[in-house]
Amino acid sequence: MGDFGIKDALSSITSQALLEALAVIIAASLVILLVQKLLPVLAAKLSGKPRLYLLASVPLVRLLVIVLTIIVVIPILVEPSFENMVAVFGALALALGFAFKDYANSLIAGIVTLYEMPYRPGDWIEVNGRYGEVRAIGTRAAEIVTLDDTVIVIPHSLLWNTLLANGNDGTDNLMCVAEVFLEPNHNVDRMLGLFRDAVFTCPLTKTYQPVVVTVSALEAGMRYRLKAYPLAPREQSRFISELTASASEICGEEGVRMVSNPYLGA
Amino acid sequence: MTEHTQNRHPCLPGGLIPLDQWRVPETSVRRTLRSALRDILDQLKAGIHPDDQAFKSLDDLPALSEYQLSRYAPVPDGKVFGRELVSQLESLDKNGGQSRRCRVLVAPPYSGVAEALRCSGKRVIVPPENLLMTESEIVAWWDDQLGEAGWVIPELADFWIRHRLGLGLVRELLARVAMDQVGEGIVGCSSWCWHFWGQFLPDLYLAPLTPGPLTADRLSLWLEHLAGDPPAGKLVARMTRDGSYVLPAPSGEEGDRKYSEFARDLATLSRGNPGVALAIWRRTLRARPEEDADKKDDGTPVPVGRQCWVAPLDQLSLPAVPQSSTSQSGHIIHALLLHNGLTAGQLALAAGLSGQALRVALARLQRADVVVVGEDGVYQVSPLAYPGVRRYLQSKGYPVDGF
Repeated sequence: MGDFGIKDALSSITSQALLEALAVIIAASLVILLVQKLLPVLAAKLSGKPRLYLLASVPLVRLLVIVLTIIVVIPILVEPSFENMVAVFGALALALGFAFKDYANSLIAGIVTLYEMPYRPGDWIEVNGRYGEVRAIGTRAAEIVTLDDTVIVIPHSLLWNTLLANGNDGTDNLMCVAEVFLEPNHNVDRMLGLFRDAVFTCPLTKTYQPVVVTVSALEAGMRYRLKAYPLAPREQSRFISELTASASEICGEEGVRMVSNPYLGA
Repeated sequence: MTEHTQNRHPCLPGGLIPLDQWRVPETSVRRTLRSALRDILDQLKAGIHPDDQAFKSLDDLPALSEYQLSRYAPVPDGKVFGRELVSQLESLDKNGGQSRRCRVLVAPPYSGVAEALRCSGKRVIVPPENLLMTESEIVAWWDDQLGEAGWVIPELADFWIRHRLGLGLVRELLARVAMDQVGEGIVGCSSWCWHFWGQFLPDLYLAPLTPGPLTADRLSLWLEHLAGDPPAGKLVARMTRDGSYVLPAPSGEEGDRKYSEFARDLATLSRGNPGVALAIWRRTLRARPEEDADKKDDGTPVPVGRQCWVAPLDQLSLPAVPQSSTSQSGHIIHALLLHNGLTAGQLALAAGLSGQALRVALARLQRADVVVVGEDGVYQVSPLAYPGVRRYLQSKGYPVDGF
């Protein structure tokens, strides 16, 4: 029993069985590849909820294909008796436990990700100071694309002990905040009203979601925060730019000076 | 006290009802699913058939001539509709359903309410040339306009522009109406405009009224009313596919006459909107029956009076918004609906676009029959494209009206 019966289990493998298993694995890989390429392309043509659902289905379909492949391949290679199964999975557990501990950690976290869904493709997340849209969820890691079009690979294992911020959490509602810092001693009520008008009349604003303008007094000046939802999360940069430009125009018209570097006095 | 009208004229078959009681005409689950699936497929197919944009009929039957259309499906008479609206409002007042001197009538685009209010015989307040007035100018302007009672504003959307400097006139008017500081009057407002202002001023409770939705029964009655009842008799409209009847409207005395589901499907497709329903109805009317559809046993044709044929809705391809990687088309059509039509200059301000980009996008939308331009230079969304446009804007996250 020194080899846990693994030798017996594997002794029945023939070259034909190996070829069959290989064919199944190749076919499954092709299906996964197709799903990973095709569904995001189709999703890009859609908008709103259908897009998010289609993107979220990619990792689920892949997991399903992997599980089905294992179920099909093992009986091809070994006789599916209780002893053989214990032997195969025992050997697999040992290998994962010692040789690929970190990899297995990420794999398990990846499965938990699919179940708990802390992030899905299409979500805008921030992990360890990196912010971007989840482009793909792989078996071991997720890929996010930042606003500057940089791809960042985040291992799922970070899920266990890292704070993760999700901006839209599976929906297409993403609150954006445009900040402006103004010199004090101006009519705050009037500025609040004018900024609210600017947010409401921006063509990119989802007016059916909350529109909030807040003000707080900081050492360096008055900080106004214009909070609203853009039509689509992907419009966030443009949306914030337009709100900031409008706010700047209003300040010019009202004769209220903006603070150029508010953090100098902090 | 009642808040909806009882005696209904065929030109306003749904009567006037409180806005919050308005419901989309019922449809079957099958049709809803089919419509959602078709919508997703249309989005996926976008770009594969780039030329498949404008309206086209998929049957080869000849459409009615303009003369026949003007007899069988004419544009509603604004004067009759206007008189009926005023009469129903007065009837509400008599029944004690009036708490303010000013009434607000909200209606979806193409409902004909604005035209009807223009013909109502009351003093029409027209918007000023400059919509970007200062606060003091606005107060003075309204003081001047609202001094004398018995006024009507046919379309509130004409009094503002979606720009941070273009909100003052409507804000001031709505505040005055809410405080009942205006004389007796009627404010007509398109549903898209009202939706915006309902969100912009959420604490405003003006108890607006709206024409009841055209359900299948009401739609049949309304189309029959439009076609009139001359000496030649009522209009008979039958489906080209199986000869089943669409008009005359079912009255309960038609014996074993088989009626089509067309009216229900049209009411659903148009979301109970009379203008959209009429535009589609005019497109479906055909001059020539399917062969042998109506012959006596000996093969001789049955003599017909005012008769026409109706192509099934699934044989029509309505205009769709051309797909684009930018949001310009969406901004333009959303601004047009918010304001119930705009000139190119106003559109630039409301949609945040200008110059060449606006002209290029407008030309593309016109080619696709989504936007039409009137002789006065005002661009509008075409009623035939409206169902597709509304779905498009909704799918892109734009705020859409409740109709």
